[in-house]
Amino acid sequence: MKTAPSKNVHRLAYVLLGVLVFLLPQLGAAQVAVSTWGFGMDLIDKNVTNTFEEAFSTEILYDLGNNADRITKIELRKDNPNIDAVEFAPTFALRAANEGLLETIDYSRIEGLDELHEWAVDPLGNGMGVGFTIYSYGIVYRTDKISEPITSWQDLWREDLSGKVSLPNITTTQGPSTVVMASRAWGGDENNPDVGFEKLAELSETNVVTFYARSSELISLFQQEEVWAAPVLRFAWGSLQQTGLPLTWVAPAEGSVGFVNTISIVKGAPNLDGAYDYINHKLSHDVQSAQALDLVDSPVNATVDVPAEQAASLTYGDEEIGNLIFLDYNYLLSVEEEWISRWNEEIAR
Amino acid sequence: MTPATRWLWVLTVPCLAFLLTAFVLPVALLFASSFTGEAGFSLSSYGEFVRDPVSQRAYLRTVRIAGLVTLIGMVICYPAAYAVSLMAARWRVLLIALVILPLMTNPVARTFAWLVILGRKGLVNNTLYGLGIIPEPIRLLYTENAISIGLFHLFLPLMMLPLISAFENVPRDVVLAARNLGASELQVFTRVLMPLTRDGLAIGGTLVFTGCVTAYVTPAILGGSRHLMLSTLLYQKASVTLDWVGGTVVAVVMFVTTLAAIYLIRVLSGAHRTRPTAGAL
Repeated sequence: MKTAPSKNVHRLAYVLLGVLVFLLPQLGAAQVAVSTWGFGMDLIDKNVTNTFEEAFSTEILYDLGNNADRITKIELRKDNPNIDAVEFAPTFALRAANEGLLETIDYSRIEGLDELHEWAVDPLGNGMGVGFTIYSYGIVYRTDKISEPITSWQDLWREDLSGKVSLPNITTTQGPSTVVMASRAWGGDENNPDVGFEKLAELSETNVVTFYARSSELISLFQQEEVWAAPVLRFAWGSLQQTGLPLTWVAPAEGSVGFVNTISIVKGAPNLDGAYDYINHKLSHDVQSAQALDLVDSPVNATVDVPAEQAASLTYGDEEIGNLIFLDYNYLLSVEEEWISRWNEEIAR
Repeated sequence: MTPATRWLWVLTVPCLAFLLTAFVLPVALLFASSFTGEAGFSLSSYGEFVRDPVSQRAYLRTVRIAGLVTLIGMVICYPAAYAVSLMAARWRVLLIALVILPLMTNPVARTFAWLVILGRKGLVNNTLYGLGIIPEPIRLLYTENAISIGLFHLFLPLMMLPLISAFENVPRDVVLAARNLGASELQVFTRVLMPLTRDGLAIGGTLVFTGCVTAYVTPAILGGSRHLMLSTLLYQKASVTLDWVGGTVVAVVMFVTTLAAIYLIRVLSGAHRTRPTAGAL
């Protein structure tokens, strides 16, 4: 049976209409493409995305993923970049810079530069990234399940934690720092990591249930009661507290490693102005303040005053930040490959 | 070539063109890149794979899990498929729908369901603990068994469907005829049913084995990074450590393993021989 021609025309018209409705909003609107993690996205949308889009009439297109995934994507699009601004943890930012994927930042275009803490201006030391948040690396544990308090890295090896610990993968931001802190805890250091690898292999055998690749993965491990204790980055602490579980944060006796996450501009960014607008917005007093109050990011803007209640959950204050251990990212990057293969062979088996 | 057959080829052009440009060509380039060393042709990347203990473990684990899941799938699904094929039409339709239903849910969702079931506070642990069978919750997740269970669930329909269809294609008369001619139940099974359904077994086995070797989500979620399989190793190499040549080597190894398995399954099932015809019985 043949369909009447008029019916076909109608159908075609509907299809074309559908395509137009879909395409129209894409035309004309200015866009800035930002590559970032996507952890705590609802709050980021509320504090950063929506306010940016209102202030600049520019839409933010996010490309979300972990550091490694995103660096791969930017590398693949090296000759035809589609990302303007990118947010990385330190070693990944440094790797991207070394591979020639980042633009040197024109600091005269950073509006609130004098409002920033000194350590946030050029944390990579190569002028290719501005810090937008700081966080420390500590230990979180269940106070209802573990009676004797955990106070140090060494405590993770205790017998009562058998099969209840999760460690980050070596390929995460904090992976190499885990090796460093385990080494320091047991008498070595970053230059003598053998003891760290040995002890971590032992820990993996006795106490580690699984390794986590993303902070969100760790949060669900806590929720499912698979894990009672784990080394955690501070920016995940807000989300962990929201699980309602009886958890506590420990700054280990051996010290806490500090990280400054940076925003950089991708070399050949299609919307360079948009990238600077995004950086300026993200470093502004209002955004930094909103992010801090929602426990998303600890501020780098010195004009932001965080009330004691929120400050307790962030990495905040001269004293706390002054006590952090900052590792040599160049060194960590130089041993990265060796450490990954050692980790895979000796620990994650 | 007659004009009619020429037309048949013309009809396949869009499909072939797509496959050539989107599959054959990239795969060929990929393969070539893994055989290239600093000075032309080289097998050094493969040598590294063979010597690397992490890769060895991932390879053996993959083959072990895929083989186990395929075998268990065959043993469990074969009698079930036979039973389904003999049922009254309305029950058969219902059961086939039940087999197909999981295919319509996203594999990620299905895998996460296993997280809930196998977790420390999950269904299995709660039941066993509640019944006093275990003194404290046992670890089920992040083990090889968890991966096997997840994969078995994922690919069960792929084993069931070819088998049901194979049994449905067996003419009922041949069983009656064999009995009539004095064959015992066992003989009917080994000499009539098995030979007539081994194609289904071979197809199901191939689909399940290939699926297990290439599945990513299930081993990644249920096994964690401690139990690397080839697919998760490939992801780690390509996306995390940016070792693309190493990743390509894993891809080629997966491909060759799959081909070898398909061949082995065909030989073992005898599916490469022609089906016995009625005259041969």
